[in-house]
Amino acid sequence: MKASIEWLKEYTDIDVSAKRLGDILTMTGTKVETIDQKGNNIKNVVIGKVLQIVPHPNSDHLVICQVDLGTEKVQIVTGAPNVKEQDVVVVAKDGSELPGGIKIKKGVLRGEESCGMMCSCGELDIPVTRFPNQIENGLMILPPEYEKDLGKDVVEVLDLKEDIFDFEITSNRPDCLSIEGLGRETAISLNRAFKNPRKNLSEMKIENKDHIEGLTVDITAPDLCYRYIARIVKNVKIGESPTWMKRRLAACGVRSINNIVDVTNYVMLELGQPMHAFDINAIEGKHITVRRARKDETITTLDNQERVLDDTMLVIADEKKAVAIAGVMGGQNSEIEDDTQMVVFESAVFNGGSVRKTAKKVGLRTEASSRYEKGLSPENAERAINRAVELVELIGAGKAVEGKVDVYPTKQEVKTVILDADRINRLLGTNIPKEDMVKTLEKLEMQVNNDTVTAPYFRTDIERVADLAEEVVRFYGYDKIGSTLIDAETTLGVCTKAQKITDKIRINLVGRGLSEISTYGFISQKELDKVCIPVDADIRKQVIPIRNPLSEDYAIMRPTTITSMMQTLMINDNKKNKNVGLFDISRTYRNTENQIEKGEIPLEEMMVTIGIYGDTVDFYTLKGLVETVLASASVIRYEISSETENPSYHPGKTAKITVGKDRIAVLGEIHPMVCDNYGIEKRVYVAEISLDKLVKYAKVERKYTEVPKYPAVERDIAMLIDEKIEVAQIERTIIKKGKKILESVELFDVYRNEKLGNQKKSVAYSLKFRSKDRTLTDEEINNTMKEIIAELEKTLGAELRK
Amino acid sequence: MKEKIEEMKKNAKAKIQDIKSLQELQDLKVKYLGKKGELTLMLKGLGSLAAEERPKIGSMVNDVRKEIETLIEQTEKTMKRKVLEQRLQKEKIDVTMPSNNIALGSVHPITQIIEEVKDVFLGMGYQVVDGPEVEKTYYVFDQLNTPIDHPARDLQDTFYITEDVILRTQTSSVQIRTMENQKPPIKMICPGAVYRSDTPDATHSPLFHQIEGLVVDNNITMADLKGTLEMFVKNCLGPTTKIRFRPHHFPYTEPSAEADVSCFVCGGKGCRVCKNEGWIELLGCGMVHPKVLENCGIDPKEYSGFAFGFGVERIAMAKFGIDDLRLLYENDVRFLKQF
Repeated sequence: MKASIEWLKEYTDIDVSAKRLGDILTMTGTKVETIDQKGNNIKNVVIGKVLQIVPHPNSDHLVICQVDLGTEKVQIVTGAPNVKEQDVVVVAKDGSELPGGIKIKKGVLRGEESCGMMCSCGELDIPVTRFPNQIENGLMILPPEYEKDLGKDVVEVLDLKEDIFDFEITSNRPDCLSIEGLGRETAISLNRAFKNPRKNLSEMKIENKDHIEGLTVDITAPDLCYRYIARIVKNVKIGESPTWMKRRLAACGVRSINNIVDVTNYVMLELGQPMHAFDINAIEGKHITVRRARKDETITTLDNQERVLDDTMLVIADEKKAVAIAGVMGGQNSEIEDDTQMVVFESAVFNGGSVRKTAKKVGLRTEASSRYEKGLSPENAERAINRAVELVELIGAGKAVEGKVDVYPTKQEVKTVILDADRINRLLGTNIPKEDMVKTLEKLEMQVNNDTVTAPYFRTDIERVADLAEEVVRFYGYDKIGSTLIDAETTLGVCTKAQKITDKIRINLVGRGLSEISTYGFISQKELDKVCIPVDADIRKQVIPIRNPLSEDYAIMRPTTITSMMQTLMINDNKKNKNVGLFDISRTYRNTENQIEKGEIPLEEMMVTIGIYGDTVDFYTLKGLVETVLASASVIRYEISSETENPSYHPGKTAKITVGKDRIAVLGEIHPMVCDNYGIEKRVYVAEISLDKLVKYAKVERKYTEVPKYPAVERDIAMLIDEKIEVAQIERTIIKKGKKILESVELFDVYRNEKLGNQKKSVAYSLKFRSKDRTLTDEEINNTMKEIIAELEKTLGAELRK
Repeated sequence: MKEKIEEMKKNAKAKIQDIKSLQELQDLKVKYLGKKGELTLMLKGLGSLAAEERPKIGSMVNDVRKEIETLIEQTEKTMKRKVLEQRLQKEKIDVTMPSNNIALGSVHPITQIIEEVKDVFLGMGYQVVDGPEVEKTYYVFDQLNTPIDHPARDLQDTFYITEDVILRTQTSSVQIRTMENQKPPIKMICPGAVYRSDTPDATHSPLFHQIEGLVVDNNITMADLKGTLEMFVKNCLGPTTKIRFRPHHFPYTEPSAEADVSCFVCGGKGCRVCKNEGWIELLGCGMVHPKVLENCGIDPKEYSGFAFGFGVERIAMAKFGIDDLRLLYENDVRFLKQF
């Protein structure tokens, strides 16, 4: 909401600078976003008169003007088509300044000297509607009476200085979407008297009639229309509005149209109540019905757009057609024309939510609808219509017809709240005396009677004692609230097990040289194709689409994190980053059990996703990183086995890790086809680890076990074995037969050559034996070794090498 | 005899002086002091001397032996030292050569801010709570006093999955879940990702991170809120940071405030980050609306509470001097490694 200080001064004495006032209002809750100090940036611009115009010898479209600036005469070259000899104009002299930091200097235009510039309204940052007969694309031509001011500063003469605030009004304060409301806040904030010049409106009693000039009103949707008042003015003479009105409208950013329309806008700005004006001749049957629109009913709105309506929307209609979309915009069919003679003013209050939805559906958010949607006071509607009629008479645009038609099915509720000063102080942590509270509330026009506070009609937001607390503290000063620490039972600051493990994983992966990334939870459906997830895969069925996505690229919640990692690796590869190692701690979202259909929330699984590429990395680098993650969660017992069927990964270089029945990780080289889909010509390694499952198996509690007292005995064993047998199988066999005394098995060599045969490899282990309670004898160890070897030979066909 | 001893002593000394290696020294040691060494033999030969000569010569031989012994010992020490020094010289390396350490990776700037904030509030006795991102409107809107026709529910702000399930637009949903499941005293923060329908540009992102906090107990005041936030900003943004409350409006708090902090880049003097105002708008906060407490089964006559929330990216950008929000989600490793 924009407002000029000039207008606000009508309501209270303002003797502080605009900047200071802005700061004060911001601190009492009316936040000033910007202050536009119009006129401040215009320097050395004066009134002039064009004495003579001759064509420019070197140009078809330029002319040379001799301009009288009072004390001097200058030559100015211009291309503006609307200037004539004897015109009074605005001249930016040599060395002048215009809004936007533009500096004007003497120059030569196609060989002819030009000592300044004649200005348009736009160049002075004045709306063309502020002064009569101005045009958008041409010089400002002033009425001849300004001839007496030749050479005088234009800012002074035209009174261009104006401080305009742009306020951010919160949705609970529709009353402040008016100069009256802002004036009230200003007065109280400055601790000055609030002189409401519109006080008379509340006392004005206009007789309510069934019809005026034959016009009747009927509301058939009282749930959406709380009040509808019509008044009529006759003998209307459509014309321009007076300058003072145009100036105020312009300051609030509203374009002047004609005197009747301007009055409706002026009242809306002044009192916060949107108004509408119809030509009575356009209302067939002189009967206004406020009704729901019919399905597919159409109306052409004032902006010349045809709008298709539906039965959730409210319209103002005559006997045949809709003449306005209630609270949003009027129809062209009832527009005020230049020959309009009798005007119906409408001041109505509609259901806020309904106006908001309608505005949204038809794609029209207007000054009116944005006020209605916050919920307006039906009491104020009457003041507004009386003001409109008063203004029409004041500016001589027409004559009021006696009486009003006022349909008011739902009386505005009077809201009362008990003033509990103790509770307010307890809530705020203050010691504000009750008398001070009462004073503030009374300034806000609340009535306080024996602790019962009655809110004025315009404060629809006051419902509870907490609301009173806010009003009290706004003017007491938020900055005067002390700073205390909570006086209550001590509580324990705790992280969950999952959070602790996550932190540990993060620290350890960073220690291993990886960088953490942050990715969006939504992706494009196409990403699933790019990572080669088959069309009939389960996770495709579990995809959660967003109903109103920003674009195709963010259309579904990701059921896997591999896509985000691939995208990030692709970006880094495109930027020629070498040796990249990344990890992402983020979620997948899956509709695993039709939760969405049941209105429940889907499964969100926390994942650690690792992605690496570079000269020195391979599958085993990745495996090491995954082991770091597992170790960070103290998950020690797990199975690793090869995974050949995962379509995103290389069939020969992929593994899965399982604990019990849970599959907690997949890791491997990305399938070349997937890399191809991302345009990466490198080998890329990715691991997806379920953090949620990891947490399930994580051991956070630690227990000490005694450091061994007795010596260990080491034995090496080397065997020739079939290439297909994985070392994990060998290890499992050794562990099984090594029983309790086998402390560790360590692979120290794998060797292949032609002599061994194509399908064979030599594998060597170092075994360490130890007992907790005694020194082991050679015999014991020999026997165990024998058993191990026998089992290796029997089940795996190993040949012992000696 | 005497002359013989003196001669031997002189010889031995000269030889020791000339020694070239430890081995030579060892040989000399054997030659003079060994079991069959010259001095040993000489001692053994004392028996052939006259009785009155024996002690005299004996002590002389012993003196010489001691002298040579000491000399050899000293020479040995010096020589060993020399050898060691030579070895150390040879072993000299170029310490300016690169290490074989793996350079540390990096924690994402958003996580860094979250971790910092978490630490402060854990220290003040808050629990850290997570919640779902795909959330019921019940938790994001209904329970937070944001009725069905409230503008916050507009399609333009919220991503909908269905009419009742959305991507949470704020982490306040976690506060509701906590209040429904826990009796006061409640002290919690909930960091996490939230979603709003904004096209990505330098200052907007459809996904960003929030940290919200909630305290509910007997006699919680707005002054407590101020004190708590003051602690927080001093800890996270520097000990001289000041905080300023301005009245504002949120449907779920009453009274509500917006809080500015003195610019933690320029210290309040005015700079590009604070747009020369000296203050940066940091967070929204207020006293939990009595309706919200009632909705969660907490009696507002018995309990009161405060809540606050702020955007993590905003702090990260100001603190690290990042001028384009998109950098945080592009994840260029050259960007990430700077943190």
